[in-house]
Amino acid sequence: MRGLFALLLLLLLPGLAAAQALEAPQVPDTARPTLAAGISTRLVEVTTGFTGASILVFGAAERPLGGETGDDVLVAVRGPRQPLVVRRKVEVLGVWINGPSARFRDIPGFYAIAGTRPVWELLPEEDRQRGMLGLDTLQLIPSGDRNPAFRAALLELKQADGRWQEHAVPVEVNGGRLFHTRIPLPATVPTGDYLVEVLLVRERRVVAQQTLNLRVERVGTAASIATVARDAPLLYGVGCIILAAVAGWLGSVVFRRG
Amino acid sequence: MQVYLPIAEMTVDALLLLGIGFGVGWLSGLFGVGGGFLLTPLLILIGIPAPVAVASGANQTLGASVSGLIAQWRRGNVDPRVGVVLLCGGLLGSLSGVQLFAALRRMGQVDLAVALFYVVVLGTVGMLMVRESVRAIIRRRRGTAQKAREHTWLHGLPFKMRFRKSRLYISVIPVVLVGFSIGVLSAVMGVGGGFMLVPAMIYLLGIPTAVVIGTSLFQVVFVSANVTLLQAWQVGSVDIVLTMLLLAGGVAGAQFGAAMGQKLRGEETRVLLGLLVLGVAAALLIDLVRVPAHLFVIGPLP
Repeated sequence: MRGLFALLLLLLLPGLAAAQALEAPQVPDTARPTLAAGISTRLVEVTTGFTGASILVFGAAERPLGGETGDDVLVAVRGPRQPLVVRRKVEVLGVWINGPSARFRDIPGFYAIAGTRPVWELLPEEDRQRGMLGLDTLQLIPSGDRNPAFRAALLELKQADGRWQEHAVPVEVNGGRLFHTRIPLPATVPTGDYLVEVLLVRERRVVAQQTLNLRVERVGTAASIATVARDAPLLYGVGCIILAAVAGWLGSVVFRRG
Repeated sequence: MQVYLPIAEMTVDALLLLGIGFGVGWLSGLFGVGGGFLLTPLLILIGIPAPVAVASGANQTLGASVSGLIAQWRRGNVDPRVGVVLLCGGLLGSLSGVQLFAALRRMGQVDLAVALFYVVVLGTVGMLMVRESVRAIIRRRRGTAQKAREHTWLHGLPFKMRFRKSRLYISVIPVVLVGFSIGVLSAVMGVGGGFMLVPAMIYLLGIPTAVVIGTSLFQVVFVSANVTLLQAWQVGSVDIVLTMLLLAGGVAGAQFGAAMGQKLRGEETRVLLGLLVLGVAAALLIDLVRVPAHLFVIGPLP
């Protein structure tokens, strides 16, 4: 059975063969509702040429998926937690300036949920709240201005730049039992540790669950620059001065005309 | 070709940055100014966060001015005594300017402050430039001579010092004050300040035109180096990748601009430069008073 799944995956998703590090689906040893999920890569590298990426979450279930009677699959991706401030612009003497602000100390820097069907059709409200499935279940408690408009603006702006997604992409089913979804990561994706949760839902209950790890990391020149700038700012400043001076001088020598 | 800026934490088109660098470099070569006052607003316009635009703008100004300073120094066009006194004020000014900048950042008002500084300073300087050069053109047509250097209240101040090369015997107070003001502006606006320093040195301090350019470059190079260091250290907003791309375009553009600039007449050039400065100020003013597309903005916690 397991070999067949792997073969089917390879046949149906040819792009995967080229993808790096194909994770072997893990099958639990019990005979209970099985779910096997994998991810196209465990490491997203933010290089100097990074323009965003996408991760492919795929897998298979034992019973048929989708349709009216089949099981459903939910995929939730959660990024590292970050503080953020939302400011409202106000008009003062004809000039628009940053006015009142609300600080959200601990919110996910990235959040995406995808499913074969919308999460609110699949799970009862309390389960959804408990599992934090869906943008409206995120704990967004501000300090500062408590006007609910700030929370609404946060949700809107984060979704506009792609760092929060709610059913922005579907989970597609192939061959009845295989599923896959491609979650886009924007260029502004925060770096750190991510959790990818894959849930199998049957009759409004989560019957199987698998959690996969993902890391988004700055690599190469971009990583070294950011690290030096953060850990040794004085040294970095001196380096910037020397580099700019040398480059400016060299450039004028190279481009000198006549 | 997209490139990731590690400090701004965003992806920008490298060709766009090279193009901006080239264009600004070309204009600065044409008019003989640093061009920082055009560069920083353009960077903000394409979506670079204001702190990164200002800090990297100062870093770029340093690179763009170094070769000029070396050339002027070799020709003996730098008055080191005036330069050092100016620089004392400049270093103090940029130190205070960066503290002000960091405080504004904590208050979430950096964008506003940078824009206001630009509108006020560029608006004033642009108008003065246009007025001064139009007057000069009229004077030239009428054939009247310019008045000789006057004695003003500035010559009555204490702490007088002899500046041999400039053949001046004046108080250090106005020199330090000029250096200080330019230092503050340099830190908050990410400019070298040459376009304000040169007229201040000529009209306010009475420094001979032969050493003005070289001596102002002396101040610009060291003050922008200080701003780079302090911004990197205290604000953490110098993006070296951004600086290098702007420099690459800038030094190439400056050579072409300088070649063209020799064909233009002094006063006419200054009218054009004044109009350009006014244009930038007007664009920023419109941006400030226009109803924003989004009433809410999100940003990292400072």
